[in-house]
Amino acid sequence: MSRRARWVVFWLGGLGVAVLFVLAVLRLPEFGGLVHPYRDLSVPAAMGRSSPNVVSSINFDQRALDTLGEETILLGSVVGAAALLRPSKDEKEQLAKEEGRVLEATKLLGYLLLPVTLILGADVVTHGHLTPGGGFQGGVVLATGLHLLYVAGSYRMLRRLRPVSWYEMAEAAGAGAFVVLGFVGLFLAGSFLANVLPWGTLGDLFSSGSVFALNVAVGAEVTSGVVVLLARFLAQALSVREVK
Amino acid sequence: MDPSWLPPLGIAIPLAGACVVLALAKFVPRLVVDIVAMVTAVVAVGAMSMLLAFTAAGRVVTWVGGWTPDHGVGIVLAADPIGAGFALLACVLTACALIYTWRYFDDAEAHVHVLILLFMAGMVGFSLTADLFDLFVFLELMSATAYALTGHKIEEPRSVQGGFTFGVVTSLGAYFSLAGIGILYARTGQLGMPQIGTALAGHGMDALVLAALVLVLTGLLVKAAVVPFHFWLADAHAVAPTPVCVLFSGVMAPLGLYGVLRVTTTVFGGVLPAASAHGTFVVLGIATAVVGAVLCLMQRHLKRMLAYSTIAHLGLFLIAMATLTASGVAGAVVYVFGHAGVKGALFLMVGVLLARKGNVDEFALFCEGRDERLTKWLLPLGALALAGLPPFGTGLGKAISEESTESVALTALFVLVSAATGGAVLRASLRIHFGLGPPPDDTDRDTTKGEGEEQEGRFPNRVPATMVAAIAVLLTGGLLVGVVPQVAEAMGVGAQRFLDRNGFIAQAMHGVAAAPVGGIETAWTWSGVALGLLSAVLAVAIGFVGVHFGLGRLRGALKAPLHVVHRLHSGHVGDYAAWLVLGMTAVGALFVIT
Repeated sequence: MSRRARWVVFWLGGLGVAVLFVLAVLRLPEFGGLVHPYRDLSVPAAMGRSSPNVVSSINFDQRALDTLGEETILLGSVVGAAALLRPSKDEKEQLAKEEGRVLEATKLLGYLLLPVTLILGADVVTHGHLTPGGGFQGGVVLATGLHLLYVAGSYRMLRRLRPVSWYEMAEAAGAGAFVVLGFVGLFLAGSFLANVLPWGTLGDLFSSGSVFALNVAVGAEVTSGVVVLLARFLAQALSVREVK
Repeated sequence: MDPSWLPPLGIAIPLAGACVVLALAKFVPRLVVDIVAMVTAVVAVGAMSMLLAFTAAGRVVTWVGGWTPDHGVGIVLAADPIGAGFALLACVLTACALIYTWRYFDDAEAHVHVLILLFMAGMVGFSLTADLFDLFVFLELMSATAYALTGHKIEEPRSVQGGFTFGVVTSLGAYFSLAGIGILYARTGQLGMPQIGTALAGHGMDALVLAALVLVLTGLLVKAAVVPFHFWLADAHAVAPTPVCVLFSGVMAPLGLYGVLRVTTTVFGGVLPAASAHGTFVVLGIATAVVGAVLCLMQRHLKRMLAYSTIAHLGLFLIAMATLTASGVAGAVVYVFGHAGVKGALFLMVGVLLARKGNVDEFALFCEGRDERLTKWLLPLGALALAGLPPFGTGLGKAISEESTESVALTALFVLVSAATGGAVLRASLRIHFGLGPPPDDTDRDTTKGEGEEQEGRFPNRVPATMVAAIAVLLTGGLLVGVVPQVAEAMGVGAQRFLDRNGFIAQAMHGVAAAPVGGIETAWTWSGVALGLLSAVLAVAIGFVGVHFGLGRLRGALKAPLHVVHRLHSGHVGDYAAWLVLGMTAVGALFVIT
């Protein structure tokens, strides 16, 4: 289609969708209303299982199957991206001899922040059931924190300290742990992903049963998944070259 | 064992298998990877067969994580014979794709196996869930893995382009679906289908419900490749590895229709007048069937031809489902099962041609297949089965569907569309394997040639037994669907359960046991056999006429309109997105005026 025809088709459709959408939005409940049926059900359910971060309780306990699916989408996306970014038949990994210079100030800050970021990431993962955060958020912090090695050091150093195949295994192990915890619930309580671990005392680190364990599993999966993903992109940008 | 264990197991088994394959991939030989993946698929087939057997007595309802309905927060899975049937179909086709893959990707890494197993988990979850948000999650799982599988041949720009187009259009549709789920949540405060359905029925129809309906259906209609949401399908099928095409055509696209029907009946069944749903879906179905059949006849790229034939058949399934009667739904499902076997076998045979000749172009392969012992006889047989030759499952599904429409015009449409798709494939087969007709010579710039596709595997001497086995299993399966009466009977019971909205809500929410249902008429009838034979005869006629008079003359007569149709399928992702938005408006308008 010509550019003009495309726009005509789009505007005809877009106008209709916009009218429908506006009419629908006008009929939505008022902002800040007091009627929240799902909140009224899920907050007591979360508190009853010592999980003060209600969002985590919904994600990892009340609707844990959704989260298993979402985590699997991430796994599939990483594996898929890795498959698409693999070196093709006429490409090869080749490291450049010369790498750029890094400013001293960047180095200093990078090496100082590296342990801080990793500890922060681990903290966000392990306290997911208590405070905002959890395996997904903490996992991303951990994975990006690791790449301070690249920012402050060099690509060679990152490659040495980040063996991709280990992370691929850890990714599989993290995703597998979620499934295994699901099976534990099935065999102990007769229901897949049932929260069968001890719920503990509200506010303790080791409380809320499998919400804590699932957060750690997801944290491992997300960390390794993002590392693998970035590794593939970095390789495409820095070391994969066409060979004639 | 408690039957309520089986639905979550259907999701968990492939996930566990995928994790094992991914963890082992770097350390074990290829054979171990193949075996682990195959065992996983076979175990899943076993679990889903058991589930299907249990659903005969009523739905199998599972509250995941033990969050029983009195908590009000959990996710419910509800398997009826149709949902369990689709889950089983997904597992069986995955097993066939894996057998075929055994030798197919000779340089493949374990990535393909992991992605195929995750894809299977997504399809099983999609079939079994009764939670609207969960449906969306599994829709996305199917999509994310499918994009990567489509673009797998990274050396080819066209392959990456096909995966990209598929990704953009499907994601766009899915975002609209998510927006619709958000609107429904704002109105009802619920995410489960029975819960939303109950809450909506108490409130009545208004602009918000209509908007939510159109938005939620958009993502599903894209998956189901209903016109004008269909553009991605042929581009993706043309470039995807052949075993992946079997899954796309056989079960993924029909699952889109399954989702449309599930959402329309369960979530919106209490507020949407049946006449409105019927009218909308019949119009969409007719458009899809006609566009698919016409484009199928115009193709010379064999995988594109089969892809457009899938679109045509999806249109027919939609017309049958639109009756919203037990016989229409049962007919559509039997048709889907039969079609999955036949179309899967046809795709794999084209895959064999591609592996042997490095080409899937009808013209370039002219006379090239005279010595192909396998495809020479099975490809024409598959083409006739595609047209609905009794006693194949396609024929039975078509017969039940035709009768359910209670309309002469729609029955004629079924006959003509199925004959056109079978005829197109037969024409190609007659040229390739028997060298009939003059050497085709066509200079039409519009048509995509099939010469640039990357050769998949190289087997100059003998086709590997694994490939032959996969083809045989699929074609036999397509036959058995029509021959074994229990299949159609089970789906007859399933269709009644599927449409029993009140029974569904009562069983899922309150544990009320399902009331027994009587069977419906799903056996072969004389008129069904006659119409199936008529389609097959017409397909033969189309095949022979097509060979002798060629595309050139037909095109000459219809040059201008066909040129427009071809140009619309431009491969430009912006065009596809524009049509998607226009399609949403059209669907909304259809719901209003019908």
